[in-house]
Amino acid sequence: MNNNDDTAALQDAVQQARDTSSAINLQGGGSKSFLGKGSAASTISTLNHSGIINYEPTELVVSVRAGTLLTDLTAALAANGQSLPFEPPQHDRATIGGVLACGLSGPARPFKGSARDYVLGIRMINGQAQHLRFGGDVMKNVAGYDVSRLQIGAYGSLGLLLDASMKVLPVPQQELTLVSTRSSSDDYSYISGLARRALPVTAAAVHGNIQYIRLSGTEAAVKAAANQLEGDVDVDSNAFWPALRDQSLDFFNTDKTLWRISVAEYASVLPLSGDWLYDWAGAQRWLCTEESPEAVFAAAAAAGGHAIRYGIDSAGSENQVPRFQPLSGTAQRLQKRLRDSFDADRLFNPGQFHPEFDVEPDHEQASS
Amino acid sequence: MGPVLITQENQLRQQCVDGLSALLPEGLMLSSEEELKPYESDGLTAFRKTPLLVVLPETIEQVSAVLKWAKANEVPVVARGAGTGLSGGALPHEQGILLGMAKFTRILELNPEHGYARVQPGVRNLAISDAARPYGLYYAPDPSSQIACTIGGNVAENSGGVHCLKYGLTVHNVLEITVVTIDGEILTIGSGAQDSAGYDLLALMHGSEGMLAVTVEVLVKLLPEPPCTRLLMASFASVEDAGNAVGAVIAEGIIPAGLELMDSPAIVAAEAFAQCGYPTDAAALLLCELDGLEEEVVEQIEKASSVFTRCNATKLHIAADEHERLLLWKGRKSAFPAVGRLAPDYYCIDGTIPRSQLSHVLKQMSIWSDEYKLPIANVFHAGDGNLHPLILFDSNIPGELQRTEELGSKILLLCVEVGGTVTGEHGVGVEKIGEMCVQFDQNALLQFHAVKAAFDPQTLLNPGKAVPTLQRCAEFGAMHVHHGELPFPELERF
Repeated sequence: MNNNDDTAALQDAVQQARDTSSAINLQGGGSKSFLGKGSAASTISTLNHSGIINYEPTELVVSVRAGTLLTDLTAALAANGQSLPFEPPQHDRATIGGVLACGLSGPARPFKGSARDYVLGIRMINGQAQHLRFGGDVMKNVAGYDVSRLQIGAYGSLGLLLDASMKVLPVPQQELTLVSTRSSSDDYSYISGLARRALPVTAAAVHGNIQYIRLSGTEAAVKAAANQLEGDVDVDSNAFWPALRDQSLDFFNTDKTLWRISVAEYASVLPLSGDWLYDWAGAQRWLCTEESPEAVFAAAAAAGGHAIRYGIDSAGSENQVPRFQPLSGTAQRLQKRLRDSFDADRLFNPGQFHPEFDVEPDHEQASS
Repeated sequence: MGPVLITQENQLRQQCVDGLSALLPEGLMLSSEEELKPYESDGLTAFRKTPLLVVLPETIEQVSAVLKWAKANEVPVVARGAGTGLSGGALPHEQGILLGMAKFTRILELNPEHGYARVQPGVRNLAISDAARPYGLYYAPDPSSQIACTIGGNVAENSGGVHCLKYGLTVHNVLEITVVTIDGEILTIGSGAQDSAGYDLLALMHGSEGMLAVTVEVLVKLLPEPPCTRLLMASFASVEDAGNAVGAVIAEGIIPAGLELMDSPAIVAAEAFAQCGYPTDAAALLLCELDGLEEEVVEQIEKASSVFTRCNATKLHIAADEHERLLLWKGRKSAFPAVGRLAPDYYCIDGTIPRSQLSHVLKQMSIWSDEYKLPIANVFHAGDGNLHPLILFDSNIPGELQRTEELGSKILLLCVEVGGTVTGEHGVGVEKIGEMCVQFDQNALLQFHAVKAAFDPQTLLNPGKAVPTLQRCAEFGAMHVHHGELPFPELERF
């Protein structure tokens, strides 16, 4: 693993962008272009800023530079019998910075928590090219606003993430997968109640009309739980989870438009045509469809959730179709002002995350 | 009764009463001296201020009306839950409104099938678990004040508790909140889904100490009660041994539901208070709770026992039944009042440190304790590194409170020095505002102020709390010169 602190160079690059009023796209391994890209002409890469800064297994904390490859980080943790419990998707040369900036979590999310849940502290560079540190390496910390967790899933629009400290946990002794057949591919009724059972369930999905449930824990616990749940132990199906996590199942290889729809796990079947895959016990729903973006956003909103388009829109040209559920009203106004407070000049990833935040900053409106 | 003094404050008070009377039904305002008295402090009673008036709204619309009026008239507003906070976060503003949320006490919906409860902010933490218990569910975060503290305050402080090593803080257990902004706008943040469009405002609101918006409704996650819970108590001949045992049990791959350490003065005090069966001859005590399926718990109790034995535990004891388990916890949960009986006053510190620094920090504290002639008892959320040294003092002895605060500040700055934080779960409030200047540099503080301005540009919500001004830091720097370096050397001294 490379071990290189590139903070000074990255800060210089942001300062230069600021001095020349030229926006920049932030990039790690470049593995997540399917989630869009800023409209800036130039790109700053964090790949040279890599390596584990501090890892003390008994403290359950790892501090790592943003450009560290996820594969390197997970290998270092695995060597000590630990892992990132939110199971970040492993897309090609994904970096930990990219995973956190996009706020991505894998199948364990509804049972073990999300990327933001495990972040304890960060260092970053804001739009004024200032180096900032928030949170720390300790589990509990309520000093100041939680700017660390705010960065997670902000797609770099609040600043360049330099390092993050995260909580890690021991790898479970044993994992097994239970498989059973449902009446239809939309029958997620059984898995949506699993979080209310006091059992060591760590993933639950319905793909086609097959239901998958993963159990993790001590050997005795996993065995006892398997007897209380539907389905038969299927060793071959253990490979289902990483493929689901990384969206590498055949399901995701589609000519139609791929959407990720996030709703409460108990939300009814959404009135949208297409092929569905239910992960996160029914709370994360994947849809391959020819429905219009407006229809998808409207259905997601009506169910109390939101949608994100993965990859290109099968009908429209890339930059004219929104990717993220558009926000309006107070939510939009406040979040735009929040973006102003970190990056008033819109240096970072302009137009990528919620373009409605990138209209003229408030203070310019006021002075004009 | 003598003539009413026409002070500027009284005039301002009358203006507020007149202005708000037009917007609110009768009986929601308190403005006489005796009515205001109970609100002059929160759980940190060393700080007291009288608010202009107290408003006790009953509806979200009334909260909105009050905030809109406050904004239009530039009057500060301090929101308050049960007032159990330990950092002065709900200390009133002398020229401001104290917005008491005590009337929002309804559990609006409890849905056992979907595992959530929708509650008003004035609902007590423990009341949620009490209501959920018949369905085999509970609300996980359990601050020691859970019998009295309210969920709105828990959100404002991002409260923890003894079980947060495994089950997380408030931020990990709240799905959605509804807030009212200083503009009087009502905004719902989060949902029943696992994430939301846009920025993670839900994370930002947690622990924001009432500085960004006022919480008026909370949707909490309910968890199934574990089928099996066992408590293992281990005694040690030194605090170092106990500290090492904590790291060793975690290295073994075990994440206890709770892992608490008490030192000798705390053990003795808690035992005298609760008669719970603590070994009063031990130098340190670990309470290690394991929960889950019975098969798992049995295995882990065995493993943890052998780890503790390896780490020189002098005695091991497993609570025989539920009655004894709860009794042993009662000792821990009443440690604060128990220690409180040892001296007229005590001052609770809330730093968090990397666990590896425990013996260094404890040793240094004991040296300072001798120097200042102020005894310190320690209770410690050992699993997550959150220290609660309790400094014993007598506020009737002139100067002793000041010396106690000075010692407390020293301890907090030591926590920062070893890589920790000045507050793990009690919040900054007014108490630790000076120490924030050491933990954060100027740019970080300016970024905090910019975040605040995005929500509340006139700084009307809980002004003067949580995030110090740079001017304040310059003044603090004059008192606390660290390694000979003044913080914020670029600022003028006054």
